[in-house]
Amino acid sequence: MPELPRKKVGIVACSGEELAEGTVTRLAALKVLEQLRPDNTVTICLPLFLAGGEGDRAFARFYPTVAIDGCDKRCAARATEMYSAKPAASVVVTELVAESGLDQPVGLRRLNDAGLQAVDITAARIAGMVDLLLDRHWNRRAGGFVDESSTPAEAQTPIGATCSCGSGIPVQTVDVRGTGVTLVGLPLIFQQLHEAGRQPEGSLTRDLLETVRIYNPIPFDGEADYAKALLREYAAYCAEHEVRP
Amino acid sequence: MKLDRKIVIVPCSGIGKAYGTVSREAAYAVTLDLRPAETQLVALSLLVLGDEAARAAVAGNPAVTIDGCKLACATKMVKESGGRVAQEIAVLDVYRRYKQFKPQGIAELNEGGQQLAHAMAMEIAATVDELREREGGTADA
Repeated sequence: MPELPRKKVGIVACSGEELAEGTVTRLAALKVLEQLRPDNTVTICLPLFLAGGEGDRAFARFYPTVAIDGCDKRCAARATEMYSAKPAASVVVTELVAESGLDQPVGLRRLNDAGLQAVDITAARIAGMVDLLLDRHWNRRAGGFVDESSTPAEAQTPIGATCSCGSGIPVQTVDVRGTGVTLVGLPLIFQQLHEAGRQPEGSLTRDLLETVRIYNPIPFDGEADYAKALLREYAAYCAEHEVRP
Repeated sequence: MKLDRKIVIVPCSGIGKAYGTVSREAAYAVTLDLRPAETQLVALSLLVLGDEAARAAVAGNPAVTIDGCKLACATKMVKESGGRVAQEIAVLDVYRRYKQFKPQGIAELNEGGQQLAHAMAMEIAATVDELREREGGTADA
């Protein structure tokens, strides 16, 4: 079975431009992504859940996600749950500020001292959540944590992206018995099988199905059709990526 | 006749590239400094959630959207929310006209980014004036 992207934690900030607390969410998210946990976190712009494609909407299913909200409207947490999957954890800046006894953050463009302190406290809280989430096993197909005792650890290999506009999970639509089915992560699976030198032949079918099934539901009574379609698409991928002398 | 309603400004909320920050800075410059009485900032996150007040703001007023990348979330979300985009602005297009202002930094823009945001804000302010002039006659029809 090929190695797939290691588990990372997704960060979704509300970024609310009309509130100083929204600025706190943005800066705290950036601090985690760039300074505190750069190797273990990725982000996505909240609007991409609606304005983007299937790969973007798969984000919170693919990664356990921390939603960072500026106020109790909780746009990031609620919209992530509505359009992708329930966040694994969430933070509300106004609550953190009250809990920490800080003055109210002020300044949309330039935060006051209380706002800057709120950024530090929020970022530290998120980093702690990231560490906790990385210790638990995430089921990418179900978009939730699973029983530790019954699930093998996911294969882990580093990928480069830590922050993105429009860098959702790559997807590919495959014709399965006349119906277009969008499969999350398929381009990555093909790429890594190809790099491992696997040929598009019958012996690959089981590995291919099992790997695709980690990220996508495959009905058991449709396995044969999926196998046929996946093998056909992988053969096309190999032909396209054939190294010619 | 001038438009009585405000022009809604909707910037990109991206934190992955400097262009997102430029869009926000320009939106702040217009709504806080240049045309505070004539404009209203609407956050994209509220539109994503379907917040009623935000949807009403874009449905009832002409909107200027500022997008930081080709995915054009701001423009798409205003349209999805039943709003009318009076002017779409792409930071990249503006940058092509001001190549001397190269934006860098996300949490904090460099000087080039600040200058680009300012240039953009001036253009948006002019657009706001035009829209208010042009749409004034039908504003309350």
